[in-house]
Amino acid sequence: MSTTDVPAASRLAARGLTLSYEDRTVVDGLDLEIPDGEVTVVVGPNACGKSTLLRALGRLLKPARGAVFLDGEELDRLPTRRIAQSLGLLPQTPVAPEAITVADLVARGRQPHQRWWQQWSEADERAVTDAMARTDVTALAGRPVDELSGGQRQRVWIAMALAQETDLLLLDEPTTYLDISHQVEVLDLVRRLNHERGRTVVAVLHDLNQAARYADHIVAMKAGRVVAAGRPSEVVTAELVHEVFGLACVVVPDPVTGGPLVVPGKPWGA
Amino acid sequence: MSATAPVRPAGYALVRAGRGSFLVHRRATAVALGLTVLLAAACLLYLCVGKSWVAPGEALKVVFGRPSAQELTVGSFRLPRMTVGLLAGAAFGVAGALIQTVARNPLASPDIIGVSQGASALTVGAMTYGITSYAALPYVAVAGGLLAAALVYAFAWRGGLQAARFVLIGIGFAIALRSVTHLFLTKGDYLVAQQAKVWMTGSLNSRGWDEAAPLAWTLLVLVPCVCWAARAQRTVSMDDDTATALGVRLGRVRLGLALLGVVLASVATGAAGPVDFVALLAPQIARRMTRTAQIPLLCSALTGAFVVVVADLLGRKLFEPTELPVGVLTAAVGAPYLIWLIARSRTGGRA
Repeated sequence: MSTTDVPAASRLAARGLTLSYEDRTVVDGLDLEIPDGEVTVVVGPNACGKSTLLRALGRLLKPARGAVFLDGEELDRLPTRRIAQSLGLLPQTPVAPEAITVADLVARGRQPHQRWWQQWSEADERAVTDAMARTDVTALAGRPVDELSGGQRQRVWIAMALAQETDLLLLDEPTTYLDISHQVEVLDLVRRLNHERGRTVVAVLHDLNQAARYADHIVAMKAGRVVAAGRPSEVVTAELVHEVFGLACVVVPDPVTGGPLVVPGKPWGA
Repeated sequence: MSATAPVRPAGYALVRAGRGSFLVHRRATAVALGLTVLLAAACLLYLCVGKSWVAPGEALKVVFGRPSAQELTVGSFRLPRMTVGLLAGAAFGVAGALIQTVARNPLASPDIIGVSQGASALTVGAMTYGITSYAALPYVAVAGGLLAAALVYAFAWRGGLQAARFVLIGIGFAIALRSVTHLFLTKGDYLVAQQAKVWMTGSLNSRGWDEAAPLAWTLLVLVPCVCWAARAQRTVSMDDDTATALGVRLGRVRLGLALLGVVLASVATGAAGPVDFVALLAPQIARRMTRTAQIPLLCSALTGAFVVVVADLLGRKLFEPTELPVGVLTAAVGAPYLIWLIARSRTGGRA
């Protein structure tokens, strides 16, 4: 199908996107619209291409065919710096320069807004202070990043992505390596950002229940294709979980949110 | 120009000049000032010490172009030789810093990834075939260094420049090129081999203004590039994905930094020979002193210059009247200090 010339309704969209590493195709002919001002969560089994898709949405991976559109323009044709002014991305395992302090790392998020001769402005100062306050890392400002715990470090990275002050934010498994309370903290932060600042967020998450709780819009992927997309209450059903993950389960109302809650079948021998 | 009060990131001062604003690392600035004083003292000592002692006042008179009785000793022999050492050391320091940044590896430096070996191979080859003039050899060395780097680059390129691949292929080429050099040495006659050996150790012996002037001009032309590199360096120290997400054109920036590093190393090698370890040690020493997140270029340059000037001073004086090539002593000057710095720090041997 040729939908390339249809103008996208949302700021970030993919048309006929085919992604491959060397000659292995991971995502094949995918169409996707990221709803503006909402939290979209991409779920799916391991190796279904969800992280690959996120990389392509953030121009880290060049499509083999098709394209990603940002504000109606093909990502490949936009200067990477201009993309960075409206689209932020936090990779799964970012690496900090050794011995860098927290404040210094967060400040690097301002890179796309700075010039060689304009290395620091009031806007930079404000964005960094604000990002650090929101992620609760202000007290860590002078500490070296490599001395922090996993949870603290993840919050610092998120602060860096926030300091970039982009309308769109892509997060690749932001809760990996975090214990449950830090996971909830990070996801709450994401939602707050979305609600208070109207930021569009796309996150890849492993945990289907977290996805159901925090997403406005869920994209379920399997083998490089979108199997279902929509509100969590519409998408997260026992049939779909079986189709996508091959898992037998029951879906009950979440006692706290009322949304769908996936409960897998009985453990072996129980 | 004024500095404003509370500015993040901590440890930096903000300097405003017109519409521009610049972040200056406080500790790095202090270290740079300290190194400048040390370097100036080492230079003055260098001019005073030799076969005959020259009073510091007389030496300074020559430096500032005032008439002096020591014009010949200081002005024609020591000063140009020191200038070559100073500039080559600074160039090696910056070159090492850039290559280490691009390779994200503290062990990468022009003398490890084949640049120095390429310069040596072509220079020794040229000597074997009768080109022995010091007027021509620097250019041969520069060509050799650039050629080797281009080869490494061509083989390491695979849709992008991957740091580890770059270093490994560089090491491979360094070994191969060293064999080529030895082939030339065995083939050439005894006297040529002797001259080549001295050159390969890195020697400042009999360097005059004829060598100093082109080196100075070349480096002066490269200064704007180094200013660009100092800022660009910040961005490539992150992982590839994060840097790209921040809007950095990683491929280009990395190529630019590596190219600048290779040119600097080649030019310095052309003037002074492949002085060992300076490019490797100076950036690591500088970084440990400044405690910055990236390798500080200015401090690397100052450290490199200091190491070479002191090493050559020792080389001239230590076993007088026998003169040791500067390359023999650079490691002796720099290595113990680096080892002490690494042993003392909590972070151990990481980059």
